[in-house]
Amino acid sequence: MRKWILPITIVCIISGLLLSLQFKAQASLSPNPIGERNEALVSLINNLEQEIDQYQENLNNLRAELDKIENSTVSGQAEIEALQQEIQKARLQAGLLPLKGRGIKVVLDDNQAGLKAAPNDDPNRYIIHYENILNIITELKLGRTEAISINGQRLVTPSEIRCVGNVILVNTTRLAPPFEITAIGNPDILEEVLLYGEYDLLKSSGFPVSYTKHYSDNPVEIPAYSGTYQFKFTKINE
Amino acid sequence: MWLPLLGLLFGAIIGSAISFEIPVVYVKYMSVAVLASLDSVFGGIKAVLEDTFDGSVLLTGFFTNALLAALLAYLGDRLGVDLYMAAVFAFGVRLFQNLAAIRHYLLDRHIKNYKERLEK
Repeated sequence: MRKWILPITIVCIISGLLLSLQFKAQASLSPNPIGERNEALVSLINNLEQEIDQYQENLNNLRAELDKIENSTVSGQAEIEALQQEIQKARLQAGLLPLKGRGIKVVLDDNQAGLKAAPNDDPNRYIIHYENILNIITELKLGRTEAISINGQRLVTPSEIRCVGNVILVNTTRLAPPFEITAIGNPDILEEVLLYGEYDLLKSSGFPVSYTKHYSDNPVEIPAYSGTYQFKFTKINE
Repeated sequence: MWLPLLGLLFGAIIGSAISFEIPVVYVKYMSVAVLASLDSVFGGIKAVLEDTFDGSVLLTGFFTNALLAALLAYLGDRLGVDLYMAAVFAFGVRLFQNLAAIRHYLLDRHIKNYKERLEK
């Protein structure tokens, strides 16, 4: 055996190893593995959302049926009528009835013009975050609002306002900007709390925000909460 | 004669068989090391053909070149200078020079053999 065979073979083995490793690294680099995983997650989310929609429809149908049954039993019996009124009141308090009334409508949108003007700046400074919405909701509550919805999602006790990537979750529904916050209450008081709070901050940092006051001739409408209340751990303490 | 090629294939198979993957951060430095090792392989073949081959020179050159290239690339990154471009350039040029030398040598030998055969 010639003396050069062994060293070159060793070098060749290591080169081959390095080459294939590098090849693998590049191959896994180019078709972005994160993107692939994201696609899988997106399809999972879509499936789950479809399922939620189905259940929601089911729930709505059942509720309509329940309504029908409740209404049909009424036949001049004062007791049942009183009970029904109580149910209606409980539903109103639980947020299960669509409402309308005087109020205010606030529209918040991302500051896309500002981001375009300063493309090197942190884009986080130009989008509406869930904290902004939370603050405005809290301020509206301070203004004695009676019902709030965001992009058609009624806010009730179990409602969350949560940041998930580039969208905001409310009632496990994904919301994207522009965010339209509708609140029922005294429009003038609501306007005042709005103008001295988060809304003013957003406005002065250049966000395209606006609001409209609605009086009884042009009432705002708020949909009912379409989810359910679950009490797994709760017991009434008597 | 064919052992080096078999070795290359063997290394490639091992590399693709094991589940180890180079972390994304080091891919750039690894690319320089790969170039250095390829350069060593062709340099070795050239040395064999020119009859100036020395096994220890090849092996030490192989490891130090690959390591130093990767280290230089890393240092360049720390300093904000694209030093790895210099390594890629240097090894690329040497690779092509080695290949050209190998080709020249093989061609010369082939022509010599051909002429000898004609003379017979």
